[in-house]
Amino acid sequence: MLTTPEQRTTPAEIRKKKGEGIVIRWQDGHTSTFGARFLRGRCPCAQCVSESTGQRLVSEEHINPDVAIEAARTVGNYALHFDFTDGHTTGIYSFEYLRRICPCEDCA
Amino acid sequence: MSNGVITESSVLDALRSVMDPDLGRDIVSLNFIRNMKIEGGVVSFDVNLTTPACPVKDRLREQSRQAVLSGVPGVIDVRVNMTAEVRRPPALGTNRIKGVKNIIAVGSGKGGVGKSTVAANIAVALAKSGARTGLLDADIYGPSIPIMMRSVGEPEMKDQLIQPVEAHGVKLMSMGYLSGEMPLIWRGPMAHKAVQQSLLGVNWGELDYLVVDLPPGTGDVHLTLVQSVPVTGAVIVSTPQDVGLQISMKTFRMFQQTKVPILGIVENMSSYVCPHCGKHDDIFGHGGAVRAAEALGVPFLGEIPLDAAIRKHSDGGVPVVLAEPDSPSGLAFAAITGKLAQQISIQAFRSIPLTILED
Repeated sequence: MLTTPEQRTTPAEIRKKKGEGIVIRWQDGHTSTFGARFLRGRCPCAQCVSESTGQRLVSEEHINPDVAIEAARTVGNYALHFDFTDGHTTGIYSFEYLRRICPCEDCA
Repeated sequence: MSNGVITESSVLDALRSVMDPDLGRDIVSLNFIRNMKIEGGVVSFDVNLTTPACPVKDRLREQSRQAVLSGVPGVIDVRVNMTAEVRRPPALGTNRIKGVKNIIAVGSGKGGVGKSTVAANIAVALAKSGARTGLLDADIYGPSIPIMMRSVGEPEMKDQLIQPVEAHGVKLMSMGYLSGEMPLIWRGPMAHKAVQQSLLGVNWGELDYLVVDLPPGTGDVHLTLVQSVPVTGAVIVSTPQDVGLQISMKTFRMFQQTKVPILGIVENMSSYVCPHCGKHDDIFGHGGAVRAAEALGVPFLGEIPLDAAIRKHSDGGVPVVLAEPDSPSGLAFAAITGKLAQQISIQAFRSIPLTILED
């Protein structure tokens, strides 16, 4: 199936599953499942990634294995925002970024 | 003549041949036909369009009339009543402004290209067509809408909500109201707070369209807008010059990155008509925006001439589309508004609801 970059990075459905994290079905038909700890360890905010060097400062191994997503919201049309149970709330995860970090076997 | 055999379904079948050119579907399956009455050989119905600013309204009326007259035996007269109801795009997220159906951002790469003039004229033209319209002047650096719209008084607070002022049938809110005569010397977080308040803390009531006049460029105000509310789409205003266009492209890419659909590009100051000899002079070049729109695959909404009437009426507080609707620039603004309203309707049909389902 021919798909456009637009379809690859636009969700058709977003689900927040208890204990599992976030599941996004994209418009091109692909499905990504993101665990809470996986997402927390890839937070793109300025506290977790150095603004000047782009180096990751906080990654998955620094995160408590029990971390969960307390709340999830959409940001305008283009991103998701999460409140994690460890108190971290500053990341804005664009759909483009989320698709890029899809942890499934085909993508990773 | 066969009488009494005209049925609602035979009329609907005949109307299925009438297509909405923008949505690419027939007006029956789009559910546009309402209140059908058949009395003897006379058939009457409403065609409920997606915007009162529809530029093909008259054509659709005539096509509907002809389709029933020629397609249904026994019909001697057809009365078509054109109505409109602006559709709300499927709910995007939870942070939408209550009662506001569409939010349209008007942006430009650099200052001085006439962005506020375009925003004011579009808002007034939408209101004139019968749509409930609001205009938010979010230009923190040079709020000019209160002058262009000659609004008097300042908004009052009621029940902890700002009550917008009204001018030329448009509900107005401006960053200028927050500062009076003083310049706004704000750092990012203050701009962020002020924009959020003027979006979400205003009693807009029921609006079909809220036009947001952005500051030039890409900055705090833009980010706050696209992060706080689902923006239906953006209009980019540019001069025909390459430099103006190149900078506008940055604005274009910002909207693209934040998944705000581009409703189209407007070329302002397109050519100058000499009031003495009537000759055209392309002071800033011509046609650059059409070429850019083609290259980017986005709609070109139209061009506005460099016309002293625009400046005069903007300074006088009555946008040219209202003050001199039959002038070349008045007609240009009306045509651009019609095309824009079409694009918004298309967008509303195309967008998919974006909500987070919780298990």
